[in-house]
Amino acid sequence: MRYLAEAAPGTHPLTPVCGDQYLNLLVVKFYYCAFTVDTLVSSALAIAVTLGIAFFVASRLTPGVPGKLQMVLEFLVSYVRGLIRETVTEDATFILPIAATIGLYILVANWLDFFPLGFTSILKPANSDLNQTLAMAIVVFLVVQWYSIKVLGLRGYVRRFTKPFEMSWAFRIGLIPLNIIEEIVKPITLSLRLFGNIFAGLLMVYLLTLLPSAFAWTTPISAVGVAVWKAFDVFFVGTIQAFIFMLLTIIYFGQAREGLEEEMGRGHAAASGHEVRATTPATTS
Amino acid sequence: MQHAIALAGGMIGFGLALGGGAIGAAIGDGLAGNATIAGVSRQPEAQARLQVIMFLIIGLVEAMYFINLALGFYLVTQANAVTG
Repeated sequence: MRYLAEAAPGTHPLTPVCGDQYLNLLVVKFYYCAFTVDTLVSSALAIAVTLGIAFFVASRLTPGVPGKLQMVLEFLVSYVRGLIRETVTEDATFILPIAATIGLYILVANWLDFFPLGFTSILKPANSDLNQTLAMAIVVFLVVQWYSIKVLGLRGYVRRFTKPFEMSWAFRIGLIPLNIIEEIVKPITLSLRLFGNIFAGLLMVYLLTLLPSAFAWTTPISAVGVAVWKAFDVFFVGTIQAFIFMLLTIIYFGQAREGLEEEMGRGHAAASGHEVRATTPATTS
Repeated sequence: MQHAIALAGGMIGFGLALGGGAIGAAIGDGLAGNATIAGVSRQPEAQARLQVIMFLIIGLVEAMYFINLALGFYLVTQANAVTG
């Protein structure tokens, strides 16, 4: 049983860098000058494993008959590329590295949770800390805003906040606050969804490992039960959440182009909207 | 005393949030499953595609519940830390 055990989930210990300063946001205290060591170490481990897998596959690429791991990764990359072509545009291939890296990294970080990390207090599932997921979501948010300005131009970017476009002007101006809230809420829900799922999975397994001490006679049965539950939690929920994070990243890029067709139809499109980026050569057949 | 009141309030709120979240997630899962069954019975050959979408939607729906669970637990530990 103790091999299945998890460390008790809770708040992550903070290591202050420049004093104990924080912004009091009533519900959460936002420490802007401190970091959580355990999350850094865990995400460093996940990053190392991700890079290790990627470089291992890249070092032994075989063009004719691909190896099994190479085949899986090629399938994933071509699937993500297909998604981007459907959702965003044909030529938006610069999203592929961001989306695929995020998806693979989150997948690896979630799957590492299956190993009993509870034996040391410094290793946790990297995504069970809101700081980690919020960092990724903010990066996605900023890149999406940059892409929106680049495609629509500054005028089209501002105009995008007056959705829906077919309404009258007075109505659209009234909707501006709602559109701004919608845009700001995106990274918050994106990060909270991943954090909540991984943290709740950790919590459930921890609570389940507490049960056998109350009912000692069920230990062998419940050990199997906990193992099965943990496998389900890690491999099903973890995979789906990694996929959803990646999919929503791509969908947000797609939404960043809203209003482009109308602009082009009226001949007011920003010059950069017409620019056709060179597509990267396809690595898979 | 204050600690006990804060903890009790936190626990009650946590329970209410969990219950409400579970109701919502269950209804959402049911709606997704309902739509999938309707789609499969109308077009049996689309079953594989529909199942992928169904699991995706279930992941999105249940995420709300898990956010509830995680944030509720966080708030209860915060309430537990209140002393005085």
